[in-house]
Amino acid sequence: MVTIRYLTEPGLAGFFWPVVLTAVLVAILGGALSWLVVVRRLSFIGQGISHSAFGGVGLALAVGAGAGTAASNAAMMGVVLAFAIVSALVIAAIADRRTGNTDAAIGIVLSVAMAIGFLLHHHAQRGAAARGLAPPPSIEQVLFGSITTIGWSDLYLGTVLGAVALGLLAWKRHAVVFWMFDESAAEAFGVPTAPVRSLVLAVLAVVVVITMKLAGVVLATAVLVLPGAAALRVSSRLGPVIVVSIGLGLVCSLAGLVAAFELDVQPGPTMVLAMVGCYGAARVWSGRR
Amino acid sequence: MSEHPAILTENLSYRYPDGGEDVLANITLRVECGEKLGILGPNGGGKSTLLKLVLGLLRPDRGRVLVFGLSPERARVEGLVGYLPQRIEAALDAPLSVRQVIALPATLPLGPLARLGAEARAHIDRILGLLELEALADRPVAALSGGQLQRVMIARALSRRPHLLILDEPTVGIDVRGQQRFAEMLKRLHDELGLTVLLVSHELRTVVAGSDRIACLARTMHFHGSASGLTPHILGQVFRHDVEAMFGPVSGETAASPVGRGQEHGAGSAHDACAEGGGCCGHH
Repeated sequence: MVTIRYLTEPGLAGFFWPVVLTAVLVAILGGALSWLVVVRRLSFIGQGISHSAFGGVGLALAVGAGAGTAASNAAMMGVVLAFAIVSALVIAAIADRRTGNTDAAIGIVLSVAMAIGFLLHHHAQRGAAARGLAPPPSIEQVLFGSITTIGWSDLYLGTVLGAVALGLLAWKRHAVVFWMFDESAAEAFGVPTAPVRSLVLAVLAVVVVITMKLAGVVLATAVLVLPGAAALRVSSRLGPVIVVSIGLGLVCSLAGLVAAFELDVQPGPTMVLAMVGCYGAARVWSGRR
Repeated sequence: MSEHPAILTENLSYRYPDGGEDVLANITLRVECGEKLGILGPNGGGKSTLLKLVLGLLRPDRGRVLVFGLSPERARVEGLVGYLPQRIEAALDAPLSVRQVIALPATLPLGPLARLGAEARAHIDRILGLLELEALADRPVAALSGGQLQRVMIARALSRRPHLLILDEPTVGIDVRGQQRFAEMLKRLHDELGLTVLLVSHELRTVVAGSDRIACLARTMHFHGSASGLTPHILGQVFRHDVEAMFGPVSGETAASPVGRGQEHGAGSAHDACAEGGGCCGHH
């Protein structure tokens, strides 16, 4: 089994352990949030935020971030995160105020961000070639993830960001749960719904940015949807749903990672397929109850 | 007890931002503590808009609203007001039990690590009993029928011990027997908890059965008094558009009682109920 060799051989362990631990981090963050995404119908907005992050990658590369050093990688994550949060808030701002319909807003922001991302990535690629520098990550790596772009500094930064994001959400958990259950009535009970919605969207942006190096822009949404969707099939109690969601996220992320190592492919698609398998099993199980 | 009325509106007018004429014009209304006021009016007559102004979800173009002497926003944030919306738009697939849903407003003032105290839990148990929901307390909210869900939403409105309960079209789609049961339940809640109740509906039976006094609203206030003062002519004025659509023009020469006529602020029974129940004004 190459996985054991990757994780134990001194020359390789330093390269693969950050990938494994990032998968654990992503599973915890995604699992903790995905029930909320599913219940509050935020799957498509999550898709919008993750695709918008591609624009952030293009912008980061265009300003010279992401050159491989820890500081440069941190700068890149900061630029991408800022771009994703702004995109999320723009979606919320231009959504139909009367109906709360975000559909068209997501379509607009997603398309614009992808277009900007492509043009800036192309510009960065040509600039790097002209100056004889190492090429930036390919579009395929950005869209579908790559373990070669993950290092210890990414893991440390992601852990801090994820802890802050989850901490903020936990700090406001009473208002968040009320908002999740009944946004229109929550306001009448004194919940500041607009700030709560912005907080949740910003936290989604943080999780997307941490996930995208591993699973890519296109597949990051799966982490935010599938564990929660499966857990909601298994239980109708909040506590067990969160625990099961995180547990399924962990099992599927690690299984997908092992499959990727063994098959020598990028981990994003294998992780997503493992999660889809769990979701299918949960549906079958809930149907037989 | 506070000297302030539960609700006071003075010359209240509101027009939606997209223009047109005033949805509400010069509404002056005084609801005393412990009173049950029913607002009767046709669909589109401004009833729900008036509730949103009282809740502080909309700001008036002219005039003012005070709830227990406070701004509506302040009263709402302090938990003085419980609200049953007309339409239930909740995420019913949420992994929450009936008890958890009812407790939602009561958790809002708590810190992130705090849990509901014994007193708050006892109050929720009492509400569950008053609304005959004990047997459903631990059931997932997704497993409820429409009628059960409405009772849960009323219980939710009461969990933070509000002094004022606002009900927006609470009997839409409910049959006559159901409306009767609703009126009995509302009386029980009012008497036990000492609530002030503001109920709006376009159904005469619901308003008469659930209120001490009635206000008739169709953009302006057409009547404000006890149910016994309500005449077919006033109803004809209030539901003018509906009546005209069916029977032709309604004469306007014997107009309904103007705002203020027939007002009977501070009915004794309502005040007594307030004092006995221990709720109403000035408890926060």
